[in-house]
Amino acid sequence: MMGAMADSLGANLAAMADTREFGAQFGAWMASEQRRIYLLCRRMLQDGEDADAATQDTFLKAWQALKRPESKNLDDAGKWLTRIAVNTCLDRLRSRRWQFWRKRPKAEDESAILNLAAATAPNAEDQFFARQIAQRLSRAVTRLSLRQHAAFTLRHYEDRSLTEIAEILNLDVGTVKVHLFRATEKLREELHDLYFHDREEHEKHKPHKP
Amino acid sequence: MKNTNHINHDDFEKWLRGHVESLPEPEVSAEFLAAQRRSIYRLLDKPRPNRAAMRWALSLAMLVLMFAGGLTLERRHKAAPAVPVTLSDDQLFSDLNAMEQTSEPKAIQPIHGLFQE
Repeated sequence: MMGAMADSLGANLAAMADTREFGAQFGAWMASEQRRIYLLCRRMLQDGEDADAATQDTFLKAWQALKRPESKNLDDAGKWLTRIAVNTCLDRLRSRRWQFWRKRPKAEDESAILNLAAATAPNAEDQFFARQIAQRLSRAVTRLSLRQHAAFTLRHYEDRSLTEIAEILNLDVGTVKVHLFRATEKLREELHDLYFHDREEHEKHKPHKP
Repeated sequence: MKNTNHINHDDFEKWLRGHVESLPEPEVSAEFLAAQRRSIYRLLDKPRPNRAAMRWALSLAMLVLMFAGGLTLERRHKAAPAVPVTLSDDQLFSDLNAMEQTSEPKAIQPIHGLFQE
């Protein structure tokens, strides 16, 4: 959500660098974007602590970039910040691939996902199914390639358009489409049993026409 | 076992999107965000280490380490003890003298032995 604060941040930033006003504006902008960036990092990294560190890193990088004398006015500060956050998360995911001792998300993060999924389901069976989908989805997403993971998160959780995703990931729209298609294909392979189960349940509970 | 090819890509995407959308956003407390902001402010106030300088220092340290390793290896090689000499000086001189006296090299002597009765 880009407010007037973010718009005004984009204007004349270079001129304001090193002033108190700059610090205050940055603080207000950070407060308005912080939750969104943290949730994005959490979805990308599937780890609360890692997401916290990535969010801090993102704002630190943004601050450093804005304080540079050559920093130009930003047309869309929110999109620019999202790009920094996504790249920060991708860097962390890349380095995580070497950390063979932490392949799976932490138990507390996994249980938080499951509890969230169950919270919205009306009855016990639905709650169980919602938990299963959330668990399987969170695992399946980690098996996507980094670009597919980023494109999927931006598309489905941030509700970004293909053009926006392309700008954030610095790719062509066509390449983004391919990444999203492949991501869906991989998830289809991983979750097809749940899809069929859901369809069957849906058919069972559908009212029969006389 | 049902084949995944029987699932229409668009249908599956719609189903997936529906489930992803139904997942509620994780709760992020105001206290957590405030604490995070305080950490960020602390980081902003702290001067950041110059990464380029750190990289240079690291490269230099590696170079010095490699040079020192090479030097140590070379010294060890030079200081390696020579093959212990078991011959005494007298023995050496007598051997040299015998070599000087004979016109043929010692290696031929066994061949001469073949023709002697």
